[in-house]
Amino acid sequence: MSGQRPSSIDIIGNIERALQDSALQRSLGVALPAFRMQRDAAVAEVPEWEDLRVAAARIKDFALAHLDGLLTRLEAQVTARGGLVHWAADAEAARQIITGLARTRGARRIVKSKSMTTEEIHLNAALQAAGATVVETDLGEYILQLAGEAPSHLIAPAVHKSTAAVAELFSARLGAPRYQRPEDLARVAREALRSDFLAADMGVSGVNFAVAETGTLVIVENEGNARFTTTLPRVHVAVMGIEKVIPRLADLGVFLRLLARSGTGQRASVYVSLLTGPRRAGETDGPEELHLVILDNGRVRLLADPDLREALRCIRCGACQNVCPVFERVGGHAYGAVYGGPIGAVVTPVLEGLGRAGGLPFASTLCGACAEVCPVKIDIPRMLLVLRGRAVRGGYVGRPDRLFARGWTFLMRSPARLRALGRLGRWLQRLVVRRGRIERLPYPWSGWTLHRTAPPLAARPFRDRWASLRQDRGAESRGASRSSRGSLR
Amino acid sequence: MQPVALFVTCLIDQWHPEIGEAAVRVLQRAGCAVSFPQGQTCCGQATFNDGFWDDARVLGRWFLEVFEDAPAVVTPSGSCAAMVREWYPRLFRDFPALAARACGLAHRTYELSEYLVRVLGVTELGARFPAAVAYHPSCHGLRSLGLREEPLRLLAAVRDLRLVALPRAEECCGFGGFFAVKFSALSGAMLSAKLDAIESSGADVVTATDASCLVHLAGGLARRGSRVRAVHLAEILDAG
Amino acid sequence: MNRDVVLQGIRAALGSLPRPDCPDIPAPRIPADLVVHFIERAQDLGVQVVRIASADEAAGQVAAWCGQRGARRAAVWTHPDLAPIVERLRTRGVDVLSPVAAPETVAGADVGITGADWAVAETATLVLASAPDRPRITSLLPPVHLALLRADRIVPHLPALFARLDALPSALTLITGPSRSADIGLVPVLGAHGPTEVTVLLLTVSRRAPTTAA
Repeated sequence: MSGQRPSSIDIIGNIERALQDSALQRSLGVALPAFRMQRDAAVAEVPEWEDLRVAAARIKDFALAHLDGLLTRLEAQVTARGGLVHWAADAEAARQIITGLARTRGARRIVKSKSMTTEEIHLNAALQAAGATVVETDLGEYILQLAGEAPSHLIAPAVHKSTAAVAELFSARLGAPRYQRPEDLARVAREALRSDFLAADMGVSGVNFAVAETGTLVIVENEGNARFTTTLPRVHVAVMGIEKVIPRLADLGVFLRLLARSGTGQRASVYVSLLTGPRRAGETDGPEELHLVILDNGRVRLLADPDLREALRCIRCGACQNVCPVFERVGGHAYGAVYGGPIGAVVTPVLEGLGRAGGLPFASTLCGACAEVCPVKIDIPRMLLVLRGRAVRGGYVGRPDRLFARGWTFLMRSPARLRALGRLGRWLQRLVVRRGRIERLPYPWSGWTLHRTAPPLAARPFRDRWASLRQDRGAESRGASRSSRGSLR
Repeated sequence: MQPVALFVTCLIDQWHPEIGEAAVRVLQRAGCAVSFPQGQTCCGQATFNDGFWDDARVLGRWFLEVFEDAPAVVTPSGSCAAMVREWYPRLFRDFPALAARACGLAHRTYELSEYLVRVLGVTELGARFPAAVAYHPSCHGLRSLGLREEPLRLLAAVRDLRLVALPRAEECCGFGGFFAVKFSALSGAMLSAKLDAIESSGADVVTATDASCLVHLAGGLARRGSRVRAVHLAEILDAG
Repeated sequence: MNRDVVLQGIRAALGSLPRPDCPDIPAPRIPADLVVHFIERAQDLGVQVVRIASADEAAGQVAAWCGQRGARRAAVWTHPDLAPIVERLRTRGVDVLSPVAAPETVAGADVGITGADWAVAETATLVLASAPDRPRITSLLPPVHLALLRADRIVPHLPALFARLDALPSALTLITGPSRSADIGLVPVLGAHGPTEVTVLLLTVSRRAPTTAA
């Protein structure tokens, strides 16, 4: 990992700022419901969907349980096909390997296809510091590179940017006319990037799946930029996290069917490249050299953690982000880390420490929508709860929370205290109840009444009514006949 | 007569006892002998969800004591049922004697609509509720307990009740316990979207299996001066 | 040494974890008619499927297409099924590039013409294996990709494809429709980097009357 940054992620502040960003709200509010609809339609077409999810989860669990053996198998197979395998324990090691390759191969012009793993290790800055130019070639990533921003979504990295913002950016940075239509803007990027591809001497990509059995690197995309990146430059460097290995070629039949439908709602992604070694004798394209960098960077901490290990099943489809009601309103940047959204709130506290990211697991209602759509059945709400528990035990939550929990538990441990608390509350609430409801509460409950009224405590709690209720026989009496409204106020 | 112990929940006990009363009458009408263990307080969900597992364990232990002898525990709250069912066994994982009791209790604890439909096989309770009703599936009931059809089947059997479709029904209302206070603006934004959906549905009443979500929704509806009322499922089943 | 650090870390992390067996792959449903299914799904992607009965007919179709579109330059794989096409295009004065032409040259072609080793009906996916004289760029650089597919190479779904592959080429490329992106304003744009248009020439050889060209 890139070293524990001391400052903690200000998740509450980030969220408040995101909620004020009306352009962001608009973009996400259109994009994510559209992704969800497409996903649901694509999933509904596959009768064996649930079987696929179960199989995918079990294959990943198998792969994780045999990770050492599968990675060495992968290494042997890639090597046998003429590739070179490098191991990186952390981000620094990975950066050194890749900048070293750029230097020794004389690579000055580097093209990259979309890869969260290279974002994670902050590769671009290292390559630039080593004197190379680095161009992100995924259209979304290209936009972000021009804007000097980080991706905000696993599969739609620039989802937070409007068409107008892109037009403005292309005009300022590329001198292009301010086109209104996305297809014109895409053409501007296509033409600019074509010459970068043709001139590049090294291509850097991520890896979606690495097949141990055959030494095959699998890269999934829609645009074709990853095909360019892995076809034209003479050197291809692929960077993968240790969890990307799958045992057999046949397993791809499960994962590829799940990935596109879950993420974008496509039946299949446009391009899936199965790369087995560098170009072979007689071939005129494909890289002359293929390097695979296998990165740990904190993942073994997840692997060693029985409660959180299943986070390593993640195939980065983005479905959890697309259904998350929190993500839909705050976007990926609010999470203050490379991986945002529900899965990010699980992995970031482990990769970067609870001291820095201990607040992330709390920014969720635990609604469970993410677990419901996850194609590899990661139980994200359960892991958020586990991490909340650890944040409390590690002393990463504030004193008011602690005091409240202690106080609540002390009072609720005995019905007599609960009764007394109720009496005290009913006496005190006279100060704030107006016309049967509470419009404003003091700190620490003021957050509640910012957006909703609060109900007053009932004049007589249920426990005091029970004795008389018991006399009734339900069949003879009904609620609404006695209490005219029967509703919460 | 099916003997059941009512866990009324701390929220309903102190804020909305009328929901508890309705639940008792509904259960009685469905042929249950309802008891109310007087020692009950809070299942510990609020502190548990906030990360205070040691505190939750104290309250969970108390809950185990109180409901130890209950043949079945029924509660008009999906999230409290989920707490006992899904989380107690895990919470006491490292305490073998308690874990066994927690597992036993987990198997006998039910949310109200779940108990009526799945266990008793009852949907017709003779209720009458002349209103257009939107049903909000509370997240824990929906996803932890898998309640999809049960509340709807009960509502379908209520005379003069017109069920209206709620757009994006399965999206969270934004309550989330302390989340509503800590992430107030975010919770408010989620609430606002849910209220827009409720108001656009043409419903007179929004209902749910969880009083916590309903308190949140009712507070939002009151704040915007909406004519829509929030009514717990138990009260609708008890109306007539 | 990083290798040992990583692997030892993994072994330590796994400890004495039970090591489960690997599950079987769930079998998808097989559609009644693979060809019909493939064509329907291709249409959903905006991929045109032209049914032909012989390689000669393919040559005629491609030549006519080049005429209509004013295509002057074509990059074509060396492939027995494509030989009649190359011949016909040359007689029509279309500049047929050598399969080993440089990327800069291929980028200037109006159309790239390839075979397809397999296709997947469920997703209307074309499967292209790289080989000498069958470069990867032919299906990538020109704005239009024409692929000649034999109907008997259509498999129902991906698991069936992977079960049939025995040796993997350096690049096996699965192509499902034209290049696309929705990265600007969530509006789908075709031809983000690769071809804007994909057309399949579907060769269904009649069993009763095999063509001489096939």
